[in-house]
Amino acid sequence: MKLLAWLGRKVGGALVVLWLVATAIFIGVRLIPGDPAEAIMGGPGSQASAEALANARSEYGLDLPIVSQYFLFLAKLIRLDFGTSYSFKDPVLQIMGEVLPPTINLALMALAVAWLLALLLALLAMRANKFGQLLGNAVEIVAAAVPHFWLGAVLIMLFSSMLGWLPAVANGTAAGLVLPVLTLALPLAGFLTQLMRDSLNTAMGSQFALAARARGESRLTVFRRHGLRHAALPALGLTGWAFSSLLSGAVVVEAIFARPGLGRSLLSAVLARDIPMVTGIALFSALVYIVVMALTEAIERLIDPAGAES
Amino acid sequence: MRRNQRATRLFTGALALPLAAALIAGCSSTNDPAASKDAEPVAGGTLVYASGDAEPSCLDPHVGGNYPQALVASQFMESLFTKDAEGKIIPWLAEKTEVSTDGLTRTITVRDGITFHDGTKLTSEAIKANIEHLQNPNTASSTGYLAVGKVDRIKLVDELTAELKLSAPDNALLESLSMPWTAIQSPQGLKRDQAANCAAPAGTGPFKVESWDRQQAVNLVRYEDYVSPAADAERASATSYLDGITWRFIPEAASRYAALQSGEVDVIDNPQPDTISTAADNGLGHLDAPRPGASNRLELNSSKAPFDDVRVREAFMHSVDVNSGINSLYFNTAKRSYSLLSSVEPLGISDESKFTTDATKANELLDAAGWTQRDSEGYRVKDGKRLTLKFPVSTNQSVPAEQSLFEQMQAAAKPVGFEIKIELLDLSSWYGALAKHEYDLVSAPYTKVGPSVLRILFHSDSTVPAPSGYFANNAQVKDPKLDRLLVDAEQTNDETERAELYKQAQQIVLDGYYVMPLYDQQNHFLYSKNVHGMGQTTAVSSPIYYNVFLDK
Amino acid sequence: MSRTAKILSLLFIAFWVLTAFVPALIAPADPLAINPSQAFQAPSGAHIFGTDESGRDVFTRVIHGAGDSLYIGLAATALGMGLALVLGTAAALAPRWLDEVILRVLEALYSVPSLLMALLIIAFTGPGVGPAIVAVGLSTAPGYARLVRSQIRTLKNSEMLEAATVLGRGTWRKVRNHLVPNALQPLLALVTLGIGQAVIWAAALSFLGLGTPPPAPEWGAMLSAGRTYLHLAWWLSFFPGLAIVVVAAGATLIGRALGGKVKAI
Repeated sequence: MKLLAWLGRKVGGALVVLWLVATAIFIGVRLIPGDPAEAIMGGPGSQASAEALANARSEYGLDLPIVSQYFLFLAKLIRLDFGTSYSFKDPVLQIMGEVLPPTINLALMALAVAWLLALLLALLAMRANKFGQLLGNAVEIVAAAVPHFWLGAVLIMLFSSMLGWLPAVANGTAAGLVLPVLTLALPLAGFLTQLMRDSLNTAMGSQFALAARARGESRLTVFRRHGLRHAALPALGLTGWAFSSLLSGAVVVEAIFARPGLGRSLLSAVLARDIPMVTGIALFSALVYIVVMALTEAIERLIDPAGAES
Repeated sequence: MRRNQRATRLFTGALALPLAAALIAGCSSTNDPAASKDAEPVAGGTLVYASGDAEPSCLDPHVGGNYPQALVASQFMESLFTKDAEGKIIPWLAEKTEVSTDGLTRTITVRDGITFHDGTKLTSEAIKANIEHLQNPNTASSTGYLAVGKVDRIKLVDELTAELKLSAPDNALLESLSMPWTAIQSPQGLKRDQAANCAAPAGTGPFKVESWDRQQAVNLVRYEDYVSPAADAERASATSYLDGITWRFIPEAASRYAALQSGEVDVIDNPQPDTISTAADNGLGHLDAPRPGASNRLELNSSKAPFDDVRVREAFMHSVDVNSGINSLYFNTAKRSYSLLSSVEPLGISDESKFTTDATKANELLDAAGWTQRDSEGYRVKDGKRLTLKFPVSTNQSVPAEQSLFEQMQAAAKPVGFEIKIELLDLSSWYGALAKHEYDLVSAPYTKVGPSVLRILFHSDSTVPAPSGYFANNAQVKDPKLDRLLVDAEQTNDETERAELYKQAQQIVLDGYYVMPLYDQQNHFLYSKNVHGMGQTTAVSSPIYYNVFLDK
Repeated sequence: MSRTAKILSLLFIAFWVLTAFVPALIAPADPLAINPSQAFQAPSGAHIFGTDESGRDVFTRVIHGAGDSLYIGLAATALGMGLALVLGTAAALAPRWLDEVILRVLEALYSVPSLLMALLIIAFTGPGVGPAIVAVGLSTAPGYARLVRSQIRTLKNSEMLEAATVLGRGTWRKVRNHLVPNALQPLLALVTLGIGQAVIWAAALSFLGLGTPPPAPEWGAMLSAGRTYLHLAWWLSFFPGLAIVVVAAGATLIGRALGGKVKAI
């Protein structure tokens, strides 16, 4: 029953968070100066007709008192009715269903690659000499500090324009995924490696590890049985945040590599002031974060049942 | 058939239509890497096109009406009229047309034997359905709506002929009906709800819409029952050579060009100027097709200070030298224009004398206008107010080279005493700023076939905002004499008189220093060397791929 | 922190402070001076970072752009820290229910990643420097707030505080003199890490066209403008990008030297 209680707490917390985000958006729209109907339709640039505005007014109940509007808004969200995207002219839910998978795909792959790279580098660092350590340190820090938009452009220039090895834009093949995934993964890998090395050093320097070494076990064995878990835990705890930040990076990467996805949709929705679309994406990313957090917490518990939560 | 006295422009089907090659409209020029003239057309293959424009929200160009829509709709929709190689309006889906003496009744007869993609036959019913669709507020047409503004009622005379009753004579009507934004769709298709028609409009073009994967591509396939209005005896089959076109959207210029170089796409639009100048060296073809209508120009808001004073406007014209900037930023691919109209408009006039760079003169004029003081940063002040010009710039409408050009203008105007404040805005905010009159300078392109665009841009009626707040007369020109000239120019049947009236109208605007022309609306396309037959365009200079074939 | 490390950090910070406030000391030329005939010059003796599409000297622009670029990063971090101190302290000292409420609010803020948060805010307000600061600040606040909260909770029960209570010091005084200063030290380390990230996100916004208006030489805007000419003039994007990396990496190093463990921001 402990599991059910935990699950119940998570779902309850999730609903509260989503409610907060939804309310913030509701307030945000009403704060925009001018006609809210026009704001929903895309702002003054939309040149919406009088009929279209009237439709928006009745659909969103903009003539009702504000409290009624709020409950109408929440009721629609519960029914998963996000309305119709003004700029794409299709229901928001349908569009999100189309653009979600490519972005999730991209983020998951980038996460996996970043993790592998980080583990590899952490391992290498352990066996390196002082100079190697310093170099590794520098590489990690620089990698973490590189902006996505710069890295993407440089990678295209190197591997597509100059060497011709990889395609510059999305073309449905696996090769088309390499550069976008790398662009997302490298900065994250730099960050994760720093994290892992810190904990790894602590773990390998601990009494437990030293005792094991004194007993004659090789460094690799100690790493495998003891160090790995301690190195992985903090990085694992950050997965929720990392995934979220990958979604952020996806906005830039999808733009540069012309990939369909959530980031690109959000960018065009923001530029077009397409409020229904923006609402859907905001709530969705909050949901994704919550789900990923819950999953990682579950995994953490599996790996380290005695682990303390901060 | 009944003949009206002094009926003008009688087109008959008996006129032997020239070969399709002669229908290359506008003044486009191609620079082909391969000698495509000698290559034998082969059928087959799918062309991949990558556009740098924003993906349209609706494929039906009646809805809204912007250039990205025109580019793609030109493949699957055709208009009643089009332009030939000399730039003259000729019938296309229409077979013949005539207008009554008083100019209030325009009769159009469509060709027999043409069917829409959904199987419906092209009849006069289509003319009625389409024009009504454009005039219907629910369609939310902006460009097409204005074009057919003078059509009051439509009477169907017989299966193929319709009579358009006009509220006033309109000699620009045929030009208006030659644009993709007034293209003809199946009446059955129009009866569907807007979402369905937006996803796959049913036209008569050589390609039809098979599917639309949002943010990925619009997939066009060959229309097997295509009938070309221009019978070409040399052509084995009336259908297109290409199996289809994959129409993609790649907004990043660098990525788009990289895709062309690597062969992932075959044709791109909106290429960066430096890539145009090196195209031949890189084995790429180049199509240069300036858009009709207005030139790319800077408009000065004459309705409020400081530009309500013509001396200040003139001073501005003389204080900035844009020519060296245009040459370096555009790598000599854009030619300076001194005309309000595009170079493909035969009735445009130029006046270089108005736009000389003369700092002395600029300073004199500003002194005379009362802007004699300067503040600590060097900008001129009058009555405590600085000579500030607000300049909202739309990142959608202005390419990076143009944005840099405006930055250069900003730096050049400073010594004379102007402070130019550039605001880079997204499209929505930009429209908002214009609607609220928060601008002194603005660059707003307008594409339309024919000199009637001058009325849209400079008649005082165009200062009255539409319900959305939009108005086209950004320079806020309100000159009764100009108004009369523009109205008369649209109503006369006499070609010479029309030319003369438009000449006078343009001179008034140029003399008032309301507008600084920069260059033609740039419309360049780059294509790889295995693409042949490029060059044919519509009346709005959008390329058509009917004659294009690939050798792979 | 070792002596050399301290000196190096101070020099690093001093350099950037100088660059931000008195750029003319390091780069006396005018960053806005156009010269179309000198456009697209590669790095050379005359222009060590080359010139851009309007002939402006890139080195001068990078130096003068430090102020704009760092301002957003610093202001956002200051906002985040301020919010964090308030929320974190309140959460730590408040009754259970208020603590829960604040935690939920923090989670809501945390659940929307920085760039998305910025875009969402901009969807409502329109682009600009203000929204950029608010967005990045709001998204960094939860991370700091959690740290403040856990620090204060630990300190709440410390001996020092017990002593203060015994001595009769008021609650407010206790907070001010004991809790907050001790919570600040690890926060400082975290903040230096955060400044680097904030600068990057602000540059990303400029890159997307949603930040500082031209002709200001803000690094993100320069990077974005330079991307168009990447195959022609690599130096236009390379040097502003390098500046961003140097600031972010340097801030990270200092943060770590101050004892900050690498943590999520």
